[in-house]
Amino acid sequence: MDKKTRDDLLKLFQSKLNEAMRFYLETCTRCGVCTEACHVHASMGQVRYIAAYRSEIVRRLYKKYFKGRGKFWPSVGEAKELSEIALDELFDAAYSCTGCRRCMVYCPFGIDTQQLMSIAKLLLIGANTEPEILTLLADTSIEKGKSLELFKEGFLEGIKRLEADVLEKWQTEAGTTAIPVDVEGADLLYVALAGAHSIIPAAAVFNAAGENWALSFFEAVNFGAFVGDPTKTKLILDRIVNEAKRLKIKEVCICECGTAYRVMKQLAGKQPFKVSAITEVHARYLKEGRIKVDKSKLNGAVTYHDPCQIARNAGVIDEPRYILQHLTDNFRELTDDPRYNWCCGGGGGLVAMGEDTLDFRMKSSKVKVDQVKATGANILATACENCHTQLSNLNDHYDMGVNVQFLSSLVADALVR
Amino acid sequence: METLYYIILVPMVYVAFGVFFIGTAIRLIKIFREPKHPTTLQIFPEKKPKWLWALSDTFLLPTVRKHKPVLWVFLILFHVGILLLIIGHLELFGEFEIFQIIPHEVFLGKGFVGLIVSISLLYLLFRRFKSPVRELSVPEDYYLLVLLFLIVIFGSQMDWARRWYEYGELDVEHYRMYLSSLLHFQPELPYEITDTGHSFMLVLHVFFANLFLMFFPFSQSMHSFLSLPMNKLRRGFVYGQENT
Ligand code: SF4
Ligand code: SF4
Repeated sequence: MDKKTRDDLLKLFQSKLNEAMRFYLETCTRCGVCTEACHVHASMGQVRYIAAYRSEIVRRLYKKYFKGRGKFWPSVGEAKELSEIALDELFDAAYSCTGCRRCMVYCPFGIDTQQLMSIAKLLLIGANTEPEILTLLADTSIEKGKSLELFKEGFLEGIKRLEADVLEKWQTEAGTTAIPVDVEGADLLYVALAGAHSIIPAAAVFNAAGENWALSFFEAVNFGAFVGDPTKTKLILDRIVNEAKRLKIKEVCICECGTAYRVMKQLAGKQPFKVSAITEVHARYLKEGRIKVDKSKLNGAVTYHDPCQIARNAGVIDEPRYILQHLTDNFRELTDDPRYNWCCGGGGGLVAMGEDTLDFRMKSSKVKVDQVKATGANILATACENCHTQLSNLNDHYDMGVNVQFLSSLVADALVR
Repeated sequence: METLYYIILVPMVYVAFGVFFIGTAIRLIKIFREPKHPTTLQIFPEKKPKWLWALSDTFLLPTVRKHKPVLWVFLILFHVGILLLIIGHLELFGEFEIFQIIPHEVFLGKGFVGLIVSISLLYLLFRRFKSPVRELSVPEDYYLLVLLFLIVIFGSQMDWARRWYEYGELDVEHYRMYLSSLLHFQPELPYEITDTGHSFMLVLHVFFANLFLMFFPFSQSMHSFLSLPMNKLRRGFVYGQENT
């Protein structure tokens, strides 16, 4: 690696160094308490998948270039040169970590491995060695934000085709639009994913609740966050923020997508609208009696997988359980304490990377499979697109024989007047 | 030999304390003056009041207790022991009424504090020889533990000698003379400090302690200061917001 490249990469590293990051980089005592925390290590056993080992790969570079010690006595902390080999290690560490932050629950200091991995991801982008597909997807999202007019027509046509399906689930009065788009003054802006499954059930529930809502032009998922590019993350986020402001929206409701929800909720800053997950909105409708559901629609034992970015990392924990109470009398928890739910193994961009990561995703999530099996449930509900894909893959791979479902679909299917 | 003793017991002590205080202060200022993290780093579910839980996380190490109970026992023994040893050393400067709430003779603990800390340190050291902590550890981690062990063992030896082997030449009074002379920048080395049977223990104790103090600000030992602010982040403190 030539000097220029290294200096540029170190500048990127420097840009990440805020107070919290310094805490995390200075503090690890390598006590090993986080050893059992990571599902990848628990499933595969290699030491390199222990949270502290991953962090240390970033920390070694920090010790080399950002601590005086790196010049006088690098060996004391095994400080390491930033080289091609170091980049390979960074890739291995960052793209085998789903950013679930389960290890943060174990660590006596609360070191956030996801944050440290975001340094690794940024360096990989700087060196052009990040997973291309993620950058490509992020760029497409940004492009769509820039030239909405080009996409608009196709989008509206596509939406029109879905309306019949929405009405099949919930018949609205003649004259109302099943999927309203671009409504100024709507109370709620629903940000979905590209895919009928993310729009149809949600629309049916909004209509049943008599919500004054509109569907966003944009899809919620933030590939910028997956690839760890702060600029792109912000650009993708801003598309939705701007739309919500333009339409004078009161509440932005994010579909079942963990990353999208956490980014919108925690990164958007102070805005004139509030941010909710669709799970929160559905729980509220039930509480206020705006929708009714029928328990007899669901047969068998149900369990619920808390998406890491929605539950442990953003606090939507009680709401899905409240909804499930209305859907079934046979609900079984995966863990006693929601903080300890195993990650599905699909986060951090791994599912978005598709087939390339499939083998690793299956091997690294053995503990998740065991956890689900132990409940004996036959319906496995969740509230995140990534989790749903990953859990479905696991279901096939390990012959789990469960029915993987979106929580929002369960609600839509159980609607009664 | 005399010169060497003098260098270790006087100038090196000043240098060590200087590096320790100034180094720690500069490093902490540098860290705390960095821009704050813009978003929350909280782990949910939330428990209130946040500050109380952050304190509990920092000082009682509940996650270690849950996941590594044996380690927890030794960590608590070690940290409480260190705290008592620090108090014991303060009492070597002079009388502190506040510490005498529980009446005791200086040096407190009847020699057992040092013993317990030494054993804890051996545990902490030897667990690093076993996988997977071995693969995680870096030389710094061993150096710190070995250094602390040497400090504690030589320090305790002086205490043990007085209490358990009826060795009486070197006494609290002499330590007080030596230490307060250092404090008043009129260093004085009483004969008992440099020329009795256990003097070399004292010199080694001080020597290793000097090394430790000088390494402290640049090592992971800084977790002593950073643990609380980090635990506050995990409990959901966000800069510039009301945090209850
Ligand atoms: S639990 Fe925390 S301090 Fe201990 S090794 Fe893991 S990351 Fe480091
Ligand atoms: S954030 Fe999750 S995947 Fe990453 S190291 Fe921690 S436990 Fe493992």
